Amino acid sequence: MTGGSWLCLLAPLVGTILITLCGTRIPRVAAAWIATTSVFVAFGGAVWAFLGVHAAQRCNGSNVCIGASSRGEITTAWTWLQSGHFSVGLQLLVDPLSTMMMLIVAGVGGLIVLYSIGYMDGDDEERRYFAYIAFFVFSMLMLVEGGNLLMLLVGWGLVGLSSYLLIGFWHERPSAVQAAKKAFIMNAFGDATMALAFFILIAHTNSLSFVALSGPLSSTQANLIALGLLGGAVAKSAQIPLQTWLPDAMEGPTPVSALIHAATMVTAGVYLIARTHVIFEQARTIELLAAGTGALTLLVAGLIALVQTDIKRVIAYSTMSQIGYMFVGVGVGGYANGMFHLMTHAFFKALLFMTAGLAIHALANEQDIRKMRGLGRVMPFTKWCFLAGALALVGIPPFAGFFSKDPIIASTLNIGWYGYVFYACCIAGAFLTGLYTFRLWFLVFPGEPSPFVREHYHDHHGREGAWTMLVPVGILAVLATVGGWIQFPPHWDPITKWLAPVAPSLPDAVASATQETVTSVVAVVVGLAGIAVAWAVYSERKIAIPAAPSLRRLLEEKFYFDTLYDRIFYAPAAWVATALRREFEEPVVLQTGTDLGNTTLATGGLVRRLQTGLLRTYVFFIAAGAAAVVLAFLIAK
Amino acid sequence: MDGPSVAWYIALAAFLFGIGALGVLIRRNTLVVLLSLELMLNAGNLALIALSRHFHNGAGQIFALTVMAIAASEVCVGLGLVVALNRRNLSLDVDTLSELRG
Repeated sequence: MTGGSWLCLLAPLVGTILITLCGTRIPRVAAAWIATTSVFVAFGGAVWAFLGVHAAQRCNGSNVCIGASSRGEITTAWTWLQSGHFSVGLQLLVDPLSTMMMLIVAGVGGLIVLYSIGYMDGDDEERRYFAYIAFFVFSMLMLVEGGNLLMLLVGWGLVGLSSYLLIGFWHERPSAVQAAKKAFIMNAFGDATMALAFFILIAHTNSLSFVALSGPLSSTQANLIALGLLGGAVAKSAQIPLQTWLPDAMEGPTPVSALIHAATMVTAGVYLIARTHVIFEQARTIELLAAGTGALTLLVAGLIALVQTDIKRVIAYSTMSQIGYMFVGVGVGGYANGMFHLMTHAFFKALLFMTAGLAIHALANEQDIRKMRGLGRVMPFTKWCFLAGALALVGIPPFAGFFSKDPIIASTLNIGWYGYVFYACCIAGAFLTGLYTFRLWFLVFPGEPSPFVREHYHDHHGREGAWTMLVPVGILAVLATVGGWIQFPPHWDPITKWLAPVAPSLPDAVASATQETVTSVVAVVVGLAGIAVAWAVYSERKIAIPAAPSLRRLLEEKFYFDTLYDRIFYAPAAWVATALRREFEEPVVLQTGTDLGNTTLATGGLVRRLQTGLLRTYVFFIAAGAAAVVLAFLIAK
Repeated sequence: MDGPSVAWYIALAAFLFGIGALGVLIRRNTLVVLLSLELMLNAGNLALIALSRHFHNGAGQIFALTVMAIAASEVCVGLGLVVALNRRNLSLDVDTLSELRG
């Protein structure tokens, strides 16, 4: 069980190191397969750990299992850091929550790395790409397996670093470099708030273990710690107000987008809240703030997605929106709901990105959906797989999203008046999801191929892509279809039971059977309505797109968040920097150097007159000096 | 206590030192300047030894020995310079040797 977790963690790291050390001595394909194998080995380790936890959890037959083994096991490799009574070990935690994340990260991650073999084929720096991507998986595994908060923060930071490296992978594009920097800075902000929360925790409990979170803390301290953790979660998961990096992150290669959105990175915030739910329950206001943030984000992202023209950006905004649902889920206290949606979302979002990648790859890197009409005629496999992903995203039964999204919406009903607000937001979000997803679908796939598609489409030896690309897409299409069947609350809830020892859902967040049923019906009807509107507007052109130029502009400018941050943060900083240069650096710093030199020269010019070169002068001064000293002593006496 | 009192020795030392200092200040010949320097050093030695005996403290004699050793080395260097100047047919007048004027 613990052996599995170490194998899972270290396999991708070994892969990265191997690729780095071998360098150009091995062919590109070998580097690609090293990365793929290492991630699949990690998946094997995750399965091993899962089976171990599974066996431990069945210890007493009932579903609530009491005892150390069911709460998970912490293995400590060595003490990593010690200062007085404070010590942090290099620890891994194997428990139901972490094994679930390990399976998702390594499983979906492995499929994405396999897919990149075909996608990145022929790129100049393939080896670097595969070293980075294995490192990305390693970082995320470190994050989810970390046995204490510091290990979690290390993984957290490494995920930020590797996302920076991968978003900016095509470093010859200025926009990619900008996007990478933006993602890194936004994430660093979250890292900082998390670190501050940890400092408070150390100051009051002298520990960074997960257990310390339930320690005696005043409500202010609990609130502050929860707020700091929420800051980290919001930054990593691209929620308002730190969401602007995510769409720009589309500058990276498409498999990287899939990895960031499905398996690693953005789901980390949801995991963090589920993992540290103890502190969030002590700070209920902050937890509800997380839910509120999610509700707001899912609406805003859904609206912005309506006007995007880049196929990847539409999917990116849908990720923000879906993570918003997960935040609502964990924010109201339904941790299992949030984690379940995280899992199904990993399947269908990876699927959507990969099918988009197939289209982009086949169309010579074109990403503009306005040029893509009728792609389904030439790429039927891509079309049907995308449809499976899209239906899962909208939440149409029997696809995965239906099973995971509806419990989240239903769970908001019992927590008070703000629950109804969240409920309304989620239902509106479901409509928007149907609308923007099928806008994408109707614009890209049905109908006669556009001239652009006819001209630029090129297949891969008679297929729509290399087999390494098609196989993961096929597997994920199956998972996006059936992956939701493992939980159907309130009738069947293996995931809730699985997670119950670590993150039991709050009683408020458990919806009754009636609420579940009604919510499911409403959400599906609303989602279908969204699809119908999309069909009427974008396929049949029966309804004209409302002109509303100001609204359109608001959405195209992404609610002016970027502009706002430019004005608030960038512009003042740039102004201060310019002013400091003009008022301080040039007159003070630079001038000081010049003045020092000039003064020294002038003084030297004066003093050099003393150097006559005549021996007698020197002797005279020595004698006179000695006489003066003697005289001084005599007078002093 | 045999011999004159210590004051005489000090007076003699001061007198010799004054002659030496004047020689360094006034004379231009390098060799004479060196000789005058030696005179000053040995005036100092005389004072050291006289006071050493006066206070029954051997440290002064040790100092005197050290000064002699240093004086010997200094003379080596100084005479070496004089010989080098002479070999290059340069003047031995210290006032013309003012290359280091600032």
